[in-house]
Amino acid sequence: MSKPYTLQELLIIAVAKEIHDYENVVLGVGLPTTAGALAKALYAPNATLMMESGIVDFEPLLPLNHIADAHACRGFSYATDLFSAFTATYRGFVDVCFLGVGQIDKYGNVNTTCVGDYYKPTLRLPGSGGAPDFLSYAKRTVLTMLGGTFVDKLDYLTSPGYLDGGDSRDRSGLFPKGSGPTMVLTTKGVFRFDPVTKEMYLAQIHPGVSVEDVKKAVPWDLKVAEDVAQTPRPTDDEIDYIRNFAPNIAIGRELMQELTLANMQRKVKT
Amino acid sequence: MTDTSSKVMSARDAISRFVHDGDQLVIGNYTVGSCAELVYEVIRQRKRGFTLYSQSGIFDVEVLVGGGCVERLISTYVMRAGGKKGGSAVERAINAGTLLIEDYTNFDYNARLVAGMHGMNFIQVLEGVMATDLFRKRGFMGEDKFRVIDCPYTGKKILTVPAANPDVCIVHVQRADKFGNAQYWGALGSVAAAALASKRIIVSCEEIVEHEIVKSSPPLTIIPAYRVNAVVEAPWGAHPTEVLGYYNYDSAMYGLFLAADATADGLKAWMDEWVYGCADRAAYVDRYIGKYGSKTLDNLRAKPYYTAPANYGSAGTSRWDRDGREIFTGLTLPEMESILKERGMLYE
Repeated sequence: MSKPYTLQELLIIAVAKEIHDYENVVLGVGLPTTAGALAKALYAPNATLMMESGIVDFEPLLPLNHIADAHACRGFSYATDLFSAFTATYRGFVDVCFLGVGQIDKYGNVNTTCVGDYYKPTLRLPGSGGAPDFLSYAKRTVLTMLGGTFVDKLDYLTSPGYLDGGDSRDRSGLFPKGSGPTMVLTTKGVFRFDPVTKEMYLAQIHPGVSVEDVKKAVPWDLKVAEDVAQTPRPTDDEIDYIRNFAPNIAIGRELMQELTLANMQRKVKT
Repeated sequence: MTDTSSKVMSARDAISRFVHDGDQLVIGNYTVGSCAELVYEVIRQRKRGFTLYSQSGIFDVEVLVGGGCVERLISTYVMRAGGKKGGSAVERAINAGTLLIEDYTNFDYNARLVAGMHGMNFIQVLEGVMATDLFRKRGFMGEDKFRVIDCPYTGKKILTVPAANPDVCIVHVQRADKFGNAQYWGALGSVAAAALASKRIIVSCEEIVEHEIVKSSPPLTIIPAYRVNAVVEAPWGAHPTEVLGYYNYDSAMYGLFLAADATADGLKAWMDEWVYGCADRAAYVDRYIGKYGSKTLDNLRAKPYYTAPANYGSAGTSRWDRDGREIFTGLTLPEMESILKERGMLYE
C-alpha cells in the first residue's frame, strides 16, 4: 500500500497519464502544468510541452500562474508567438491539449463565457481565451472541470465538443476527422465519450465515490461503463514528485490560502 | 517645456500627447509584463470614450473600465475577481449598460492585428469557431465581427475577420534605446503585432540602454525605432505583473487587488490609493515601500539567467585588408584610381 494521498494528487496523476511519450502537448494553467511536469519526469520524458504565449519545450521550475509565467522561461527551446502557436495547432502538430470547463453538456461542448444571457449575464466568466481553437484542432483534448457544472443546455457554446453528437462534428467539415474531447476529469471521476453516439459516459470513479454520487451532479440520465474502474491509487514516486514540485497544488487552493494567511499574520506579529 | 525633438519623455507627456479621447487604444502586452504605469496615467488624465483592445483582460482592463475610460471592449478573456462569488468591473459595466463587449478567440483577436500590421484588409481565421456562439452572437461589430467568403482557389467556405489598426498602442518592454528600438523577450504572445498594427506607439521600459546594446542583440527588438512615438523609462512599470529578467509577479499585491475588485466600492478605494493617489510610478513605488517595506519589493527581483551569446561575426569588416588592399583585386586605392583615370572613367 502506498502512502496516503490528497484528492489533488489523484487528479494530477489522472491528467498526467493522458500525456504519452514524444507527444506535443498544449498546457493550460493550474492543474495541467503540474501534470505536464509530472508526466515529463515519470512517464513521458520526450514530450514537448508548449503554451499559447509561444513558449515551446519548456520545463517549469514550479507550478505556473498563467500561460506566460516567467518560471517557464528559464531554459526553453523555441520562442515563437501566439499566432504561430495556433497555426501549428491548426496544421495538426498538437497531439493533446488540456482545458478547463465552466459548463459542459453531454457531448462535451463547453461554456467558459457566461452564466445566463450573454448580453445581460448573471455571471460573466473569463471567456474563450484560446480554448475554441485548441478544442477544434488538437488531436485530443482533455477537459478538467473542478468547479464547473454539467448542464442539459449550455448558456453559451464557447468551445466545440461533439456538437449534437453522433457524426455531427465530423460532418460539419470544420474539424480534423477524429478530433475532439477524449476525457473529462472531475473531482468525482473520469468521463469518456461513446465512439458512436459521442455521448459522455462515466468510465472511472475516484476512491470513496459512488456512481450515485456522480449521477447526482448530472441532469441527464448518465450512462455508466459496465466495467467502471476505480482511479488507481497514486504511487509513492508520484506523490513524492508532486509534493516536491507543487506543494501548493498538492494541498489544494483553500488550505493553501488559509496557511498563507496564517503565515502573513505571524510575520506581522514578529 | 516638453522637448519635442526627443522621444524620451515622462508617462504624463507621452499619454497627453499621443492618447486622445475616443481613440481605439490597444494594450500591447499579453498576460505578462502589462504596461501598468501607462494604463494608470491614462486613467489619471481622465481620458474617455475608448474602444479598448486587449488580448487578455487582466487588472489593466479592470482599472480602465472601472475608471470609466472604456465604451467598447474587444477581448478574448476578462478577469473574474474572487471566482464565482466575486464580480468584476467588466461584468458590472456590461450589466449597467455602460460597456459593450466583442468576444473573440485568442487566435481571431490576434489575427485582426496581424492583418493590420501587414496592411491587409482582412485575414482568414480557423473555421472551427463557426460551430460556436462566438460566431453566432455578435456584439457592437455586428456582421463585421466575422464574414464568411468562398475561397477563390478551392471554393471552400473561409472564415475571415477584418484587420484592426488601433489609433494608439501602449506597451511595456524590458529595455529600449532613446530612439525607440524596443526590446522584449520571453513569452512573445501577440505583443509585436499589437504594436506594429497601431498608428502610434508609446513604449515604456524597465530601463533605457545604450544604442550599442540594441545593435548587438537585434533579435530582441520587436518594435523598430522608426515606428515609436514615445519612450518612457518606468522601473517597476509593470508591477504587480512580472517582467522576465527583472521581477516576479507580486501575488500578495495581486491578491489585494482581486479582493478589492470584487465590488465597485472596493475597486474605487483601491484605485484612489494606487492609481489616483500616486502622481507617477516613482510615487507608486515609494508608497509600496512605505507600506510593505523595501524587502518585500526586493524579494521579487529576478536572479539572472543569461542567454548564450550568438556569434554575429564575419571574416572581414571592410572591403580593404590590413595592408590597405582591396580584398578581391589586391589593389590599393591610389592604384585603383589610376586605372580609372587610364580607362577614361573619371569626369572632371
